[in-house]
Amino acid sequence: MPNKIVLKIVYYGPAMSGKTTNLLQLHALLDPQRMGELMVMETRDDRTLFFDMLPIGFQQEQTLDIRLKLYTVPGQVEHDSTRKAVLSRADGVIFVADSQLNQQENNAVSFENLADNLHKVGLDIERIPLVVQFNKRDLSRIVEEKTLRERWSSSAWWPLVLSSALKGHGVIETFERLLERLYPAVNEAHGLSRHYGIDRSVFLERLTRCREDHHVR
Amino acid sequence: MYDDREELSLDELLPPAQVTRAMILLTNLCGAEIVLLRHPEAQATPVEFSLEPVAWLKSDLPIPQRRAAAALLELLLFHAAKYRLAANLHLTATEANYQELQQQHAALQASEARYRLLSESLQERVDSQVRTIRESQQKLYESARLRAVGQLAAGMAHEINTPIGFISSNLRTAQEYLGEITESAEAESNLGELIEDFHSLLEESLDGANRISGLIRDIRLFANIDQTDHRHFDLNALIETTLRLLQPDLATPDTVTLRLDRLPRIPGYPAKIGQAIHNALTNALRSLGDEGKVVVTTRPVDDMIELTVQDNGHGMSQEVRERAFEPFYTTREVGMGSGLGLPVILDVVTAHHGRLNLTSEVGQGTCLTLWLPIAGQAS
Ligand SMILES: Nc1nc2c(ncn2[C@@H]2O[C@H](COP(=O)(O)OP(=O)(O)OP(=O)(O)O)[C@@H](O)[C@H]2O)c(=O)[nH]1
Ligand SMILES: [Mg+2]
Repeated sequence: MPNKIVLKIVYYGPAMSGKTTNLLQLHALLDPQRMGELMVMETRDDRTLFFDMLPIGFQQEQTLDIRLKLYTVPGQVEHDSTRKAVLSRADGVIFVADSQLNQQENNAVSFENLADNLHKVGLDIERIPLVVQFNKRDLSRIVEEKTLRERWSSSAWWPLVLSSALKGHGVIETFERLLERLYPAVNEAHGLSRHYGIDRSVFLERLTRCREDHHVR
Repeated sequence: MYDDREELSLDELLPPAQVTRAMILLTNLCGAEIVLLRHPEAQATPVEFSLEPVAWLKSDLPIPQRRAAAALLELLLFHAAKYRLAANLHLTATEANYQELQQQHAALQASEARYRLLSESLQERVDSQVRTIRESQQKLYESARLRAVGQLAAGMAHEINTPIGFISSNLRTAQEYLGEITESAEAESNLGELIEDFHSLLEESLDGANRISGLIRDIRLFANIDQTDHRHFDLNALIETTLRLLQPDLATPDTVTLRLDRLPRIPGYPAKIGQAIHNALTNALRSLGDEGKVVVTTRPVDDMIELTVQDNGHGMSQEVRERAFEPFYTTREVGMGSGLGLPVILDVVTAHHGRLNLTSEVGQGTCLTLWLPIAGQAS
């Protein structure tokens, strides 16, 4: 039996920021060795109710079986206990912020809620691999890059990834950035490079491999 | 708690009865028997959920058909899993909420217990403060009594001085007379007259000496003040004694009038009651103007003895009356008294399970009434 590693990555963020859209795009763009069905659990008006989940992974000969389970949480404030349950035992977090000017307060509230819930499930926002994505860059009334730089450049989460999940821009890049930050912890825990010869670039390449007919980044 | 890292097994995804039904349907659809295996076997087609094989299909069917059968089963499992996963998550979230509630409840109880403890220790501190205050009040009360005794002693000294004065002067005269008697005895004239005078001188001296011994008896009784002797005593006699001790403070001998009914002996601490009477009389006397008078009465009323001390002195305003029982309240100049008169009376009366009433009117005078139980239960 190959050694199985299961990693949990959670897309977090305020309601309607584009978490589910990120996952839909990954499902459409990625072409890893293994990809399961995309499970979407939402209400009739496209609001995530429990979570969305996409399993991807790769196997190496008969020695290693790596699985990534990509989850989204429901962003609506009232689903806090669900968010907390989905967040529990996460290995990495992608925070999807909404770039629209009128959504900045919601971003802040949600980020604080993330820190809170991480703490409640025994994780530390300062230590967990985390990437911040500012989505909906295709819209016009959005926070300027300059402002984002001022606000975030001194944080541990700089650089941010700017994206338009709707158009598929920046989605793979965000995911890739997370994998970069995730790799050291996984490598340390499971000896990826030592036992299996999987260094960071191999890890990234095998998990962010895209379909031939798509080259949007 | 459900762990979403562990893949769900076939049985968790779909109840066995449903699996059996699905297999019958698949067999009927394909027109050939399909067997569901729970462990991999060569030539069997895996059925996956979320990248994990959960079962294998074995059949003689051609591969594409076998794959289609597996895919159909996977589709079934996928949708069953949606419900299963949502249900598990819901359960986890609910349990976590419940635990959080319980923790909050426990925290609340803990803090409640802390506050209870705090309030208990607060109560203890208040009690100890009250004890301290009581003790220091008691000390003040004692020292006020000592001061009263001191004042008395001074008065007594003065009072004793007078008879001693004339006794010694008389005795000197008697000495001279004795000389003359000796001479006259020789002349034998005027002897009878001298001897008569000598008699009266000696009588006067005797009377003076008696007065001194009476005073000394009174002082002793009053000096007994610290003796906490509980016994039946004669209240009227105590009043008379106390008044005698205050004699030097009286403007005229008839400043104080006693109207004392026949009384039964009552139980109590005579020294303490004597102190109370002394304080009441002192207060009354100090309030008097030039023509001031004090009337003291006693009479039995039901199962009590009523004692009144009434003066026609300058009286008290309502404000003074209201504060008269505060330990340090005084209208007299600093140094003229600690103001403990009335509080001490109240203490004594309360200790004897009695009652007290004070009425006063500015310019009209003051009347203090004490009721002491005849059948006492004094502590
Ligand atoms: N213009 C624009 N719209 C986007 C973008 N990403 C998502 N949206 C739209 O925003 C809406 C919400 O997107 P979702 O992906 O469902 O948002 P979510 O974060 O999953 O929302 P919850 O599940 O309610 O938390 C949808 O109508 C998306 O089409 C983007 O990059 N640009
Ligand atoms: Mg969603």
